[in-house]
Amino acid sequence: MAPMDQLAVARTRDAADATPDARREVIGAEGLGRRFGTVEALVDVTFTVRQGDFLAIMGPSGSGKTTLLNILSLLDAPTSGSCRLDGIETATLSEADRVVIRREKVGLVFQTFHLIPYLSAVENVMLAQHYHSIADRDEAFAALERVGMGHRADHLPSQLSGGEQQRVCIARALINAPALILADEPTGNLDADNEARVMDLLDSLRHEGRTIVLVTHNPELGARADSILRLQHGRAV
Amino acid sequence: MAAPESVVSSRPSRFSAARLRMAARLILRALTAQGSRIGVAVGAILVGAAVISALTSLYLDISRKMSEELRAYGPNMILTPHASEDEDVAVRGVDIATVQAALDVLPADRRLGSTPFLYGMVRLPQGTAVLVGANMQGLRAISPYWQVEGGWVTADFDERNAMVGRRLADSLGLELGDTVPLRADAGTAPAEVTIKGIVETGEAEDDQIFVNLSLAQRLLNRPGQADLAMASLVAQGPEADALAAEVMKQVPALDVRPIRKVSQNDGEVLDRIDGLMALVAGIILVITTLCVNATLTAMVAERTPQIGLQKAIGASNRSIVGQVLTETAVIALIAGTLGLALGFVLAQGLGQAVFHAWVGFRPVVVPLTLGLCLGAALLAAILPVRGAVRVVPAQVLRGD
Repeated sequence: MAPMDQLAVARTRDAADATPDARREVIGAEGLGRRFGTVEALVDVTFTVRQGDFLAIMGPSGSGKTTLLNILSLLDAPTSGSCRLDGIETATLSEADRVVIRREKVGLVFQTFHLIPYLSAVENVMLAQHYHSIADRDEAFAALERVGMGHRADHLPSQLSGGEQQRVCIARALINAPALILADEPTGNLDADNEARVMDLLDSLRHEGRTIVLVTHNPELGARADSILRLQHGRAV
Repeated sequence: MAAPESVVSSRPSRFSAARLRMAARLILRALTAQGSRIGVAVGAILVGAAVISALTSLYLDISRKMSEELRAYGPNMILTPHASEDEDVAVRGVDIATVQAALDVLPADRRLGSTPFLYGMVRLPQGTAVLVGANMQGLRAISPYWQVEGGWVTADFDERNAMVGRRLADSLGLELGDTVPLRADAGTAPAEVTIKGIVETGEAEDDQIFVNLSLAQRLLNRPGQADLAMASLVAQGPEADALAAEVMKQVPALDVRPIRKVSQNDGEVLDRIDGLMALVAGIILVITTLCVNATLTAMVAERTPQIGLQKAIGASNRSIVGQVLTETAVIALIAGTLGLALGFVLAQGLGQAVFHAWVGFRPVVVPLTLGLCLGAALLAAILPVRGAVRVVPAQVLRGD
């Protein structure tokens, strides 16, 4: 089935599948592997994430967390196994199709924020709308309000603190209502106060029913998740 | 736990007003954020555009201006009575009316000057001389290179003044202001003329005496007659040939020939100058392209993390290519427009310095210059665009 057809099927299922006890599968990874030359970065990883889950992926440096996150966010493709994202098999998609599915289904939160430096906070949020569908300043502003950044909407990233930039990044990840929010060490560059604010924000999103996958080194943050996937040398342990 | 509302929507047209507005905002912000780098690119294209537009303006005006300049070397078309090989045209001559009809065929805007000539011998108290009758205003127009001491006989009806060649004046002891009688062997009454100017050309004119055509006709008893005519035209090579053929077609009584010594040189000089300008313009375009390429490459390299992010949040390669090419086109068109203005000023300076004339505004220079600037800039963008397409988001977005 072509990716856009799969998207249409997934939309139909969204409407039909709403019972809490039969929560739909958002991520279905089976035997996932990723090899770089002779190095196996990820080996036979299998797990499922359902709608509303909050999964933490933990492990030491080099354990394959980022590799797994890249595959889940469709920035990379596995070399073995299969990975369904909201019902769409992504392992065999072309790069162009991965771009389409990514902008429809995934919201990304980065450790180093990655805001466009010459766009204001609201314009950074609008940029994600622009690539998804159509930029709407009012909607983007509402997303900023949602993360407590409405009053800083017209500020450039250089005029914002790290915590504020991360909240703009979260607003950008939320703006297209993705099926999955992937957060890569979202508090890694923040002080304790801002770390708490960002985690509270992720908690509130989780309580709204958002599906969140968090990559972190921090056991305290990991403990907030519903479940933890621990990686060691590329394997789930 | 409530399920998040699905907002996956059909993607609107790439050319919807809202999408275009956001794309324009993105490009404007990107351009203004890279002031110094953009400045280098704008400067390179501006200089290129200025030189190209100046050379193009000159190129379009140069044929006329060069022809006018080269006309300083004398007439470039001669009209003589048509005759078979065994006929003595020098004896027969031609009616002035025929000569005038032929000259009228030549386009007025291409004709810098013309005059009929009538030749004969006259005696002066000091000796004999070749008498040349001509319309003095036309003679002056086709002989701008003559060195004249004193002054020209300015009016075509002036039968009291004459001009004498330098060697003739020296040999007969004539000076400015002298009055001398001219007598022909045609049984006509002599005429007294005052030497108003002494002519020096280094050629046959230095041994001749010049009077108005009407006076020469009366002295030589050849009323309404001329031996030949000469014209100075703004035309070279094939164009001059075509004009000559047209005159002969309409006035078969005359043979009309371009004077190759000047006409052909016109064409050759112009060809060389045209080629030189094309070479300079080509080199400038290459240099501009290389400079813009270097600048764009640096710009794309600096923006690698941003391009990676844009791809990560959903930008397709086509979006990225479109953004870089649009930014390049905007730079090229702004710089090209400024360069056009500067080039027009530069063309005036060159026109004044080389031709002592203003260079006219030619509308065709605008699309030509902007098109070349745009083409060079987009060509320069090919490699940077490939670099942007090759950005791998997963590599540039690592948090470490």
